Amino acid sequence: MIDINPQRILTRYNVKVEKEMTPEEVAEKLFPVEVNIREVAKAVFEGDEDEVVESIQNAINNGLDPLSLINNALMVGMEIVSTLYDDGVLYLPDVIISAQAMIEGIEYCKERSGQEHEYKGKIVSYVVEGDIHDIGKKIVTVLLRAKGYEVVDLGKDVCVEEVIAAVKREKPIMLTGTSLMTTTMVGFQDVNSRLLESDINVPVVCGGGAVTQDFVSQYELGLYCEEASDVPKIADAIINGLNIGQLMKEFHKH
Amino acid sequence: MGLSLKRYNKMAYDDFEDMVFGHSIYPIKTGFDLEIGAGYTSAEVNYAPRPAAGESKEKLITEYQKITTDVLQRMVQVGFPSVVLETEHVQQMTVNPSWGAEIAHEQKTIMEEFYDEYGIKCALRHTPADIRGGKEALDLRGDSYCLLLESFEEVASNGADMLSIESLGGKSVFDSSIIRNDLSGVLFSIGILGTLDVEFIWEDISKIAKKHDVVAAGDTDCAQANTAMFIAGGLLDRKLAHTLAVVARAVSAPRSLAAYEAGAVGPGKDCGYENTIIKAIAGVPISQEGKGSTCAHSDVMGNLAMQCCDLWSNESVEYRGEFGGTSVQCWGETLSYDCSMMNTAIEAGYAKVFRDVFMVSDRYRDPQAFILAFDNAYRIGESIVKDGNDIYLRAKNAAIEACNIVDEGSRGQLELSRFEKASLAKAIKSLHSLTDEKDVFIEENLNKLSTMESFRPENYGY
Repeated sequence: MIDINPQRILTRYNVKVEKEMTPEEVAEKLFPVEVNIREVAKAVFEGDEDEVVESIQNAINNGLDPLSLINNALMVGMEIVSTLYDDGVLYLPDVIISAQAMIEGIEYCKERSGQEHEYKGKIVSYVVEGDIHDIGKKIVTVLLRAKGYEVVDLGKDVCVEEVIAAVKREKPIMLTGTSLMTTTMVGFQDVNSRLLESDINVPVVCGGGAVTQDFVSQYELGLYCEEASDVPKIADAIINGLNIGQLMKEFHKH
Repeated sequence: MGLSLKRYNKMAYDDFEDMVFGHSIYPIKTGFDLEIGAGYTSAEVNYAPRPAAGESKEKLITEYQKITTDVLQRMVQVGFPSVVLETEHVQQMTVNPSWGAEIAHEQKTIMEEFYDEYGIKCALRHTPADIRGGKEALDLRGDSYCLLLESFEEVASNGADMLSIESLGGKSVFDSSIIRNDLSGVLFSIGILGTLDVEFIWEDISKIAKKHDVVAAGDTDCAQANTAMFIAGGLLDRKLAHTLAVVARAVSAPRSLAAYEAGAVGPGKDCGYENTIIKAIAGVPISQEGKGSTCAHSDVMGNLAMQCCDLWSNESVEYRGEFGGTSVQCWGETLSYDCSMMNTAIEAGYAKVFRDVFMVSDRYRDPQAFILAFDNAYRIGESIVKDGNDIYLRAKNAAIEACNIVDEGSRGQLELSRFEKASLAKAIKSLHSLTDEKDVFIEENLNKLSTMESFRPENYGY
């Protein structure tokens, strides 16, 4: 068996560009100063659900308002996680584990306050009819929740009728649909035309295995998305008032 | 464990140096004069119909007729002596078994015409879609399973030479485990649940193959190990540590091996990147994909994947026009030129040199490639057969051996990032903390999953 020195054959760019500091070291500089808030944010960063609830309990015992802890502590911790992910310091499972802990925390705060929390916006997510591959949708759903959005998750293999009914009922700021296969992704076409028939101009963010920008661009409401991590950015852009044309310009990369 | 299962307790190859492309210990004869793993490689062309073709049975049949004719025409135009076509069913073809049957028949008729006229050696693989994925949860042994077997019966009796599937057992547990860095869950979903489902369905598929005198070819852990590979992505993607994708891949080998234990004989399916490990253990011919499947996805081992292949595939490409012909013609031609090069190397006595070049060019590109380099793949195989009768221990062994291989490699030419090193160290620690008792492990995981709505133990006979 032959062997070589790979230095002139390939470049491990991930090794070359790796940040000097560990995620923990970077996060340490970003945690809030106030001790109660800091503990909650740290627990979210560490993704420890029990620790999150315990730190919220402590904060409430020390006189902090449970509902305000959602935006002022839980979301702050999650924002640090998201920032570190966007900066290439953390990996997706870290975000998912933290998001899960944050969601537990939000539920606990709501329970303690007896009031509803106001989300940034509502989004409906689904996997097209005939398709049961939903890991992409799961990732997108968690990332959106992590950024403070309420997600109505319709699940997988969802028929067009059900999608349209959910949009009419929930009035989301956008719809996200995923499809793995070429023969199921035509489901986007029906959703697009049914929404237009009802004068609903909600952006339909489409992604998944076989889906391409060329395919999605055929549809008036369609917005192609290649990276799950772009979906919360699209939601933020919608909140900031971008219309579908502007969104395409911003997010259609090819 | 079914009565007809034959566990592997020793390696088919005595030495990894004996493994090479185009040769297997147990070659297959199939289709029109085709031999697989008997001294030459052939292209295996894969394709997907255009979205609009799924509207009706007639449109689908026409689509596959065009695809089949296009591929064979290009093969004879450029002078390639052999080819395999793989039809991975779209849902409609499996849900309506007669559709799959008619398409297999039409394809085979065209292939026969080309064989009669030109003598081109060719064979047809059909891969029904695993339609057992329910809306709420997998339903692996219910009505849709009966329909799936009917689909296998229909394609086997209407022209398919080889039968395969990308089975889904364990997928829902795997999906939630991998995105949470839960290694115990990964081991349970692939090593236990996947294995149980593979052996369950392959006992039936093998019987169908035998009844119709066709080839029970094999499975692939596409639904799990490839999901990990795709999420892991390229060097700069930060969705999953590549060292965790390594564990999923290693565990997929004993899982896909279960098909051969239940009667399959190869060629293993193209997207089973675990196939080199399986070839080392079982001696069966394998299909592989790499640089010729960039039309479908990117991997980090485009050349390495050729090292021990018997069929060389493009994974899948949507049927459409390109500047150089239709997509299936272009990719079929590219694959066939690769095969021509490999076959030349075999004829000239340079096969092992070529094999080594393919392998070494990607060996250090990524830990996922490193563990599949044929010498390392062989080591993982040895760790599997060491406890071949225990589906838990052999999966755990494979995971630990793969981690050890990466760890040792990182002290040599395999560069790891600090993050990868840390995640590898965590994985090794987590794997070593697991029990050695299969029953204890299963019990622990079943308890852990008791609140997961989409998990149904009865799917696996529990």
